[in-house]
Amino acid sequence: MLSDNQLLRYSRHIFLPEIDIQGQQALADARVLVLGAGGLGSPALMYLAAAGVGHLVVSDPDVVELSNLQRQIVHRQDSLDQLKADSARRHLLALNPDIEVDALPRALDDDELQQQAAAATVVVVGTDNFSSRHAANRACLSTGTPLVSAAAIAWEAQISTFDPRLADSPCFACLYPDSNEQALNCAETGVVSPLVGMLGSYQALEVIKLITGAGTPLIGRLQLFDARHGEWQTLRLKRNPECPACASFVASDTSRD
Amino acid sequence: MSGQQFPAYLLRAFRVTAMPTVKMTPHLYRFFPQLEGQTVTVPAGSVKEALHAINEQAPGFTDYILDDRGALRRHVNLGINDSIVFDRKTLSDRVPEDGTLYIFQALSGG
Ligand SMILES: [Zn+2]
Repeated sequence: MLSDNQLLRYSRHIFLPEIDIQGQQALADARVLVLGAGGLGSPALMYLAAAGVGHLVVSDPDVVELSNLQRQIVHRQDSLDQLKADSARRHLLALNPDIEVDALPRALDDDELQQQAAAATVVVVGTDNFSSRHAANRACLSTGTPLVSAAAIAWEAQISTFDPRLADSPCFACLYPDSNEQALNCAETGVVSPLVGMLGSYQALEVIKLITGAGTPLIGRLQLFDARHGEWQTLRLKRNPECPACASFVASDTSRD
Repeated sequence: MSGQQFPAYLLRAFRVTAMPTVKMTPHLYRFFPQLEGQTVTVPAGSVKEALHAINEQAPGFTDYILDDRGALRRHVNLGINDSIVFDRKTLSDRVPEDGTLYIFQALSGG
């Protein structure tokens, strides 16, 4: 049950008929795993914390470097050389002491990823490499956990949501088959700071929609954003019947309540 | 000139053939600057034909997005109008006359 203080704190959610007290309670009861406390993870975590998601789990193996502070806004000058997971936890609890935050200052191996995905209501991925995105996809497929994926480089960004609880939902590997090929990342290319802010915030919005059941999440849709020209494209994405990642999960019922 | 600006009856009346338009991730302009700021059009036909038509305008383009067997590289994706293309191997999907072909790339930055 939400306390009087919480009813006040979250009143601007509770005023929304799509969220109401039930939706806010669902957020308080939810556990969200966020992979990567970088440019995308920072605003995603901050909005999820402020929005009253009851339990956040942050995984990131890196320490905060000076070049991160241009965009990774959950970290501050005094976070330099600290583990990102610990720095994020400290600042999220300062934002909202009402919630629980677990810091996992490491890259999760397949077993731990599987355990964490199984315990999570939703998984958010905003890591800087392709292999961890595919690992998150596999863990979400095998545990039937929705996955909100975004990426941003230079002036371009992409976002989609995959929900293995739905038989016709595509997965991340339906979109990009797993491979050793190098995808673009911002270490060599650069990225304009508020772009990751927009997309990380959008990921938090997707999470809130998935948890409260409000509106229509981006399942089966990929959105591409061109920040230089302010243009969004929406492309429909179907499940690929030959996708090696999700084909084996089709027959089994992965739905949870 | 893009056919999309004209109603179909005018196109028929003047026997103008509409050409599919190509839109691509701005990242590709780094490698093929001659395409930047251009309205790139290709003849209607298969995705494969469309990509080879772009290669005429920007030599090396197909080498960049296709592997040595002519299949789409794994970090590249295509959309026709508002749908993502599944046939990454033979590139048989048809790009219609009034269609748009999107070429985009996997991003992993976070
Ligand atoms: Zn799949």
